[in-house]
Amino acid sequence: MATAVGTVGHTHEESTVWKWLTTVDHKKIGVLYLVTGFAFFLIGGIEAVLIRTQLAVPNGTVLDAGLYNQLFTMHALTMIFLAIMPMGAAFFNYFIPLHIGARDVAFPRLNALSYWVLLSGGLILTSSFLFGEAPDGGWFAYAPLTDETFSPNKGLDFYTVGLVVAGLASLMSSLNFAVTIINMRAPGMTMMRLPVYMWMTFVVAFLLILSLPVITVALLQLYFDRNFGTHFFTPGTGGDPILWQHLFWVFGHPEVYVLILPSMGIVSEVLPVMSRKPLFGYTAIVMAGAAIGVLGFGVWSHHMYTTGLGTVPQYVFSASTMAIGVPTGVKVFNWLGTMYGGNIRMTTATYYSIGFIALFTIGGISGVMHASPPVDGQHQDSYFIVAHIHYVLFGGAIMGIFSGLFYWFPKMTGRLLDETWGKIGFWFLFVGMNLTFFPMHFLGLAGMPRRIYTYDADLGWDTWNFVATIGVYILVVGILLFMLNVFMTLRKPATAGDDPWGGATLEWATSSPPPEHNFDVVPVVRDRDPLWYNRDHNIPMPERPAHLHIHMPPPSYFPLVLGIGILLIGVGALSSLAITALGVVVAYYAVWGWALEPTE
Amino acid sequence: MVGHEMQHGGEEHPPSTIRQYVMTGVILTVITVVELFLSYSSLPHGLMVSLLIGLSAVKFVIVVAIFMHLRFENGLLTRLFMFGLVLAACILLALVSLFWNDGTDAVGGIPAGQEQSAPKH
Amino acid sequence: MAAAHAETQHHTTTGIDNRKLLMWIFLASECLFFGSLISTYLIFRGDSIVGPLPADLLDIPLTSTSTFVLLMSSLTMVLAVFGAQHNRLGLMKGMLLATIVLGLVFLGFQVYEFRHFAHLGLNLGTNQFGASFYLLTGIHGTHVGVGVLYLASLLVASARRNGLGKEAALHVDIAGLYWHFVDIVWIVIFTLIYLIP
Ligand code: HEM
Ligand SMILES: [Cu+2]
Repeated sequence: MATAVGTVGHTHEESTVWKWLTTVDHKKIGVLYLVTGFAFFLIGGIEAVLIRTQLAVPNGTVLDAGLYNQLFTMHALTMIFLAIMPMGAAFFNYFIPLHIGARDVAFPRLNALSYWVLLSGGLILTSSFLFGEAPDGGWFAYAPLTDETFSPNKGLDFYTVGLVVAGLASLMSSLNFAVTIINMRAPGMTMMRLPVYMWMTFVVAFLLILSLPVITVALLQLYFDRNFGTHFFTPGTGGDPILWQHLFWVFGHPEVYVLILPSMGIVSEVLPVMSRKPLFGYTAIVMAGAAIGVLGFGVWSHHMYTTGLGTVPQYVFSASTMAIGVPTGVKVFNWLGTMYGGNIRMTTATYYSIGFIALFTIGGISGVMHASPPVDGQHQDSYFIVAHIHYVLFGGAIMGIFSGLFYWFPKMTGRLLDETWGKIGFWFLFVGMNLTFFPMHFLGLAGMPRRIYTYDADLGWDTWNFVATIGVYILVVGILLFMLNVFMTLRKPATAGDDPWGGATLEWATSSPPPEHNFDVVPVVRDRDPLWYNRDHNIPMPERPAHLHIHMPPPSYFPLVLGIGILLIGVGALSSLAITALGVVVAYYAVWGWALEPTE
Repeated sequence: MVGHEMQHGGEEHPPSTIRQYVMTGVILTVITVVELFLSYSSLPHGLMVSLLIGLSAVKFVIVVAIFMHLRFENGLLTRLFMFGLVLAACILLALVSLFWNDGTDAVGGIPAGQEQSAPKH
Repeated sequence: MAAAHAETQHHTTTGIDNRKLLMWIFLASECLFFGSLISTYLIFRGDSIVGPLPADLLDIPLTSTSTFVLLMSSLTMVLAVFGAQHNRLGLMKGMLLATIVLGLVFLGFQVYEFRHFAHLGLNLGTNQFGASFYLLTGIHGTHVGVGVLYLASLLVASARRNGLGKEAALHVDIAGLYWHFVDIVWIVIFTLIYLIP
């Protein structure tokens, strides 16, 4: 900040807390997202450990049925909406402007608002535990389980309100990211020169922009069913539980790509740099990403084969689901092609990327298996599905995020994470993950259903359940090692330098961590791998001008106030109209302040 | 979707007089009146529905193209908006046909004698 | 919502203003939002087990009038934009006011309609028609309400000493995009719910 002459509003010392509360800097907001996402990752992890402990042996007595239902529901919601998505958004925030050569996102204050609203959604969802009334209908909350008759407590209202609020946050940040990538690129940064990570971000933004409204409608309808006597999803006056499933999965399938595409993007950045050669088949990988984005809207009913779709719809959705495996496979070959013949550096980031490819491929293959309706009839609602989703989500999304953490940690903090401990941690996660989730394939095929809180001893499920639980404890050690690594590293001096990996993309052309204005001189892009191009053509880095006249948007507390307004509206929807009304007033006040606040 | 950069919109310019806007408003009103007559006429059901939908589509396009001046903007905006619109239409059609052709629906339907003039097909 | 810094405000990669781009992408998202609500309405067509049914309630002449009102509000809105773009501030303010009034009249019609239907026995929980009709038109009405608030805020702000600032035309233009979109959604709703018997 000290370098940015002309920055407004820094004349007096502000407290650190106040700075974080009012920041509109995309990098600070990215860090907020990352810390928040990781905290929720730990909460979701504790829930998972409890679930697996209960299932370790037959007739377990650690949890009762009701609490078990709450835990598996909250585990999925926390991991999907409050851990993986925010950690993905953290890297989006931090690296979109750095990757495209911009000083910030298009709407810095909207960006801050998105964070506060996401946090509100997370708090609403998680606070349900304080009332002992966490949602317990599964993350997909199938009707009629969600009906007032079967879920008389407030749990599912926390679900609807929490998800609408969190969804609003994702919608706002996605709009912001889409506009930023379209409109804020540095000179020479054409769309086909964007880093693959930016392309995946772009696709994710549009997936969210176009699928969130559908789930919002479904959640509203569920809220009305539970609070205003409608029967959208219950047979009462002619409603239809299947309608919920359709609306949920029209959103739900694009959503799973929202979870995996960021990690695919990260791997596509890490592997070329670590293999010291350009990405193999840039156009193919970009087109595959876009194809996944479009096709992703046409496969939702593969979650509903067993509801009696009818023959023709089954054919159609089965075909489209198998088709979507093709671009997914293309990408796997792109990554392998990138490494093939490369001079590979086996860093921890490389380990995680390779782990990603291996494990994601297993998950993709089981996905194509249940793309076939008759096969799915055997898999549906069994532990086989649980194995599938964890290979794509843990083996895929989480492995990718860890790869990104090791790759970008030096850029974000100026310090390299310890490689030795990183690799040891990797092996714990890799072994623990396979030990936990591979046996679930066997369990599923042996007939063990999902979402049961206990089972009898003589069903042949004992051994693999026990193995899976051991796996979870190994995973816990891996996560603890990672956290220890971070704490130890942060105590060391910042010696990583600007470009420890010899990176190809623009973020490595500025200091670590970057100044508030990102680049002293906006870079000019001449190639897909701009830094390698400059290196190979002996183009020197632009000189830092003696005087910087860069206006950065000043901090603002209106995003926070507006966020509080939205939080109040949400809380009001769970309690009383008066609080909602207060929230509306606060929000309207904040919008006025926001609109009239000078930004230059 | 946004492969190439475009600096400026097409050659055409948005209406430059109030008169032109008012004329557009009059056209929209006329179409609405025609629609109203159609809905009371005794045309065959299928024909009437297609005409009504066609005419609303015309109104839709006029408002988007002229009042929202999308026609005179960078083509990128058209493509972005159309993507959402077409996707919404496709999902709507898919959902509606999934339900309307659903032989397994046990609950639907109105007791005999109370049927609407337009039963599901 | 200003752009990150003065430099980018007028030099975006595509030449389109960031805020306008944001609004158009948001409207694409809204298509899916209303698409889902309309789908629900259509899916439940004929699924009501008890009355009252649409044929018993819908009053086409009445709603045609309110449709006409909303259509005219689009015309006044576009004239407000015209005024803002040609520096005719009186025209702009007058037309903004007219748009707000027409929007309120439309909402008045809707309140009347809802109360009338409730009086005739159609509530949210009565049947599938009630649930999907009230939700769809209610959310559309909420959009109109937000639009009225949006335009009213612009009108109030334009009375300040420096008016809406140097980008007045853009602000009114973007508000207009939202307003017209709400109008075209009504065009679709009017046809699908009211006109098609
Ligand atoms: C090769 C691509 C993929 C195919 C063909 C595929 C196919 C499927 C199918 C058919 C199901 C439904 C199974 C059932 O419930 O009976 C399913 C479930 C699921 N898939 Fe995939 N999938 C693929 C990739 C992914 C990815 C990349 C993710 C996430 C990152 C993912 C996440 C999930 C989740 C979370 C479920 C379970 C939803 C639930 O019932 O809770 N899948 N997949
Ligand atoms: Cu799916």
